[in-house]
Amino acid sequence: MNLSSLLENRDLLICVGSGGVGKTTTAAALALRAAQDGRKVLVLTIDPAKRLANSLGMKRFGNEETRIELEDAKGELWAMMLDNRRTFDDLIDRVSPNETTRDRVLGNRIYRIISGSISGSQDYMATEKLHDVALSKRYDLVVLDTPPVKNALDFLEAPGRLARFLDRRIMKWFLTPYDEKRVFGRLLMGTSAVVFRLLAYIFGRDFLADLSEFFMAFRDLYDGFRQRHEAVLQLFQDGRTAFVVVCAPTEPSVKVATYFLDELQTRKMPNPGVIVNQCHLVGEETSDGRAVLETEARSMSEDLGTNTVDRLLARLGAAHHRLIELSRTEMVFVDQIKDKIRSDQAVWPVPRLEHEVNDVASLKTLGQHLFHKTM
Amino acid sequence: MTVQSLVDSRLLLITGKGGTGKSTLSAALGRHIANQDRSTIIVEVDSHRPSLTEMFGVQPTYEPVNVGRNLDICNVTWKEALTEWLERTVPVQRIVRLIMGNRIVQVFINATPGVRETVILSRIATLCEMYDTVVVDMPASGHAVSLVRVPHIALDLMASGPIRERSEQVIALFGEPTTNLVIVCLPEEMIVNETIELWTNLKEVQSSLRIPNIVLNRSVVPSMTDDERQLLERLNSKMGDDEAVRDLLLAGRWEAELESATATANERLSTELNADVIHISRLGALGGMQGGAKEVVRQFAAAIARKALVEVKS
Repeated sequence: MNLSSLLENRDLLICVGSGGVGKTTTAAALALRAAQDGRKVLVLTIDPAKRLANSLGMKRFGNEETRIELEDAKGELWAMMLDNRRTFDDLIDRVSPNETTRDRVLGNRIYRIISGSISGSQDYMATEKLHDVALSKRYDLVVLDTPPVKNALDFLEAPGRLARFLDRRIMKWFLTPYDEKRVFGRLLMGTSAVVFRLLAYIFGRDFLADLSEFFMAFRDLYDGFRQRHEAVLQLFQDGRTAFVVVCAPTEPSVKVATYFLDELQTRKMPNPGVIVNQCHLVGEETSDGRAVLETEARSMSEDLGTNTVDRLLARLGAAHHRLIELSRTEMVFVDQIKDKIRSDQAVWPVPRLEHEVNDVASLKTLGQHLFHKTM
Repeated sequence: MTVQSLVDSRLLLITGKGGTGKSTLSAALGRHIANQDRSTIIVEVDSHRPSLTEMFGVQPTYEPVNVGRNLDICNVTWKEALTEWLERTVPVQRIVRLIMGNRIVQVFINATPGVRETVILSRIATLCEMYDTVVVDMPASGHAVSLVRVPHIALDLMASGPIRERSEQVIALFGEPTTNLVIVCLPEEMIVNETIELWTNLKEVQSSLRIPNIVLNRSVVPSMTDDERQLLERLNSKMGDDEAVRDLLLAGRWEAELESATATANERLSTELNADVIHISRLGALGGMQGGAKEVVRQFAAAIARKALVEVKS
């Protein structure tokens, strides 16, 4: 499988991997290429670097799908930045059986906090939004740049998390005293009495009241959440979906990548290969090169300080040497991935670019490297 | 701010964008501080696969594990932290066991925002009473902000009770003069932007945090002369595509780029954050890790000890 056929034959690409390895730019470069080739593409990103977001004209709030103007594309490129709270609000709206339930959840103090600032909700919301756009069929291809997660598994497990919290039997047990309109703390017997009294002591009564209201409101949402959870899981395992692992050739990043390879396999989620970004790809030292450079340098440095040529040549030699060392070390990590993958998977090494990727032009350059070759 | 004032901290919070080397820095600083005769612990926060294992050859557990003179490591997992917290808060052991074993309570705690973070922070506060210095390898950027925000949310939500009390203590601890924040950064524009944004967000959550120390990892302090740059430019424009010298010139451009990126990063971090920037040269802590993580930490700690860091006053 090469990357070009991936862009032609899949409807959903999900870029996963550790932070700081260029996931966002990779996702954007893949999407751009598919758009150039004629598909209508949406790249859904979580938190792109400001400059890239600005140069692409993305809006930070409101989950707005923005069309990116391209001069030479046969298709269309659209981009959207995930607005966590907005996605959560929309979700509540969609799964609520009626307006009363919706308003009760949206107005709950605890809900306001969870949806805004608690870590973990972002992974969940990314899958939620993905479900939304992927099933809408408005795009030929959706490319998702996953959020930086604390643990690699957080993202893959995100769809189930909310459904688990809302396990119906447990909810029922917990909410029984409220259902029966008893005042908290009264008429409770045995274990539950102790537990409830303790929780009230630990959390404070007001908070507990808010929280039970939150649970009560969410209770009616359970079926909706479960259905969506199942739909997202199906989407993840679909043959038209591909997870692309993105990493850098460093020890920690490769560890995370191999972990993803294992987990994706276990979960039967399609994973055609690994993109290794930021590789320092250089050739061996040659004495010829130095000699050629020295002759040339001497001929063009008459107006420069006396030791300039020697200093610069020594510096270039040392820098080149360092790059070679670095690239050897990196190859060891690339080899670790090659040993790890199945025969139907590929490794795509991408050189570290000389300039930061922050606009359409540099995304195109990155794209050229991405589609250059397969190892 | 010097390396010495980091050593004198009671609580050192280390954060930064993923992949900048914050775990390595935490380990190396911890080792260095332990060598200064201070009892020290390096803390990982609720990690499924602790990176400390690699760096010290021992798996850190919730209970501190000794890895050398004056030096312990641990992994503050939230379940153990919760048990400990309940034991502190609820005097009767039997009730604690009852609570922990109760499925309803487990769901309650899973679903209640901030419980995990609260008990983890509580454990960190407890460790501060047990050691001279606690070095915390915090979660990356946004997750670190969430963690610091939790006790503030607790104050908003809870009018009384032990969570509120503990949250007040944690907030006070964060504001202590012996609490220092270190943000690890790399000389790359995007990462510098994120570092500045991270500090803005942290400051917004907790205004009493002291200005962070920025560790600029893999920095290349400028040493190329103007004449050298001039010559490099001439060679590039004349022979940049020549196969025989392409890699040499590429290495040169790379070097020049790293130098100016380092200078720009230093300038922006010092002026926009008003922060002290500590440079760690790429020789000290490159991500390459030929000798394995353990060796990198050893070398890095030695580099700190030799004061091989170039310190730049803002």
